[in-house]
Amino acid sequence: MGRLLLWASTVLIPLTALIFLIRWRIRTMAERYRRIPDRFPSSKGILMFLLPLPVLFAAVASLARGNLAGLFDNTVCYGLFLGGALLLRRGLRTEAEYDRRRVAKAPWPLKTFGGSLIALATGLTAWSGAHYHPVMAVAFALAALLGCHLTYGFDPRGAKRFTDSEGVDTTDRVLEALAQAETSISAIEQATRNIGNAELNSRLRRIAAQARQILTMLEEDPRDLRRARKFLNVYLDGAKQVTEGYAKTHGRVTAPELEDNFRRVLTTIEEVFAEQQQKLLETDVTDLDVQLEVLNTQLKREGVV
Amino acid sequence: MPDFLRKFIGLLLIFAAVGVASCQALLASCSPSATTISSMLTH
Repeated sequence: MGRLLLWASTVLIPLTALIFLIRWRIRTMAERYRRIPDRFPSSKGILMFLLPLPVLFAAVASLARGNLAGLFDNTVCYGLFLGGALLLRRGLRTEAEYDRRRVAKAPWPLKTFGGSLIALATGLTAWSGAHYHPVMAVAFALAALLGCHLTYGFDPRGAKRFTDSEGVDTTDRVLEALAQAETSISAIEQATRNIGNAELNSRLRRIAAQARQILTMLEEDPRDLRRARKFLNVYLDGAKQVTEGYAKTHGRVTAPELEDNFRRVLTTIEEVFAEQQQKLLETDVTDLDVQLEVLNTQLKREGVV
Repeated sequence: MPDFLRKFIGLLLIFAAVGVASCQALLASCSPSATTISSMLTH
């Protein structure tokens, strides 16, 4: 039985690894032909949640057999695996955010922490759960650590800095403005939950989505930040204050006028946000127009056209 | 090292280390006299 399991695992492990790799390869090839998704893919890093599941079953089996030491060992090991997998996934998400932005601080090395925790859990499982010799357990841990690093890569190092047209480093200012805007949008979404009117709620959700789209545009091109200053400092902050104020008062006071006023304000905010978005898109088009014109002139001067 | 090969080796190592250790732990907890890979290899 044991020998059969050994042979089966020798065949199955490379086969499963190959299947995972081919899936990843096909996805990478397909990504060349479509836009890079904004959202973090939900299946990335999920393998590290699935592989240690037998340790959880081992804990349950130990409980059924009344083996207290086994139950304790396996539970601790599974907890470490779970913690490592969560850290690794958070690290992958942070890395995706870092890659998407043009301005970003160096993230915490969460992938390294996660990989190390998984390696520790593997070593402990091999030693206490599977009763391997401590030297072999260390070899297991090292193999897991190396595997994590080779599969998921190292954490990004160094901040992506941004300098404005005058050559001044404005990274901190840009990041602060973006973080503040994100807080305002979250506050609007939070206040929406306290408003029991379906129509107003859907309007507020639309406003939050619009604001997020503008924020994404600003993250992708921080040069727009100067043009969107009024949006960030006046409109978004105003929208947050009005929404929070309405969420607080409408439960205590029944005033149809207040609701009508709030609806009117929301309509105006929606229009202003759409206008802002359009303005940023137009700026991008103008920038592209200028670049095309410059290139065209250069080509003419070189005698190519 | 090419990206493809790096990921393949990484996945192999993860499956070999985490997969084998956890399956062995399950085997060991299911039967007290269960043979581990190391004891089988010495036979």
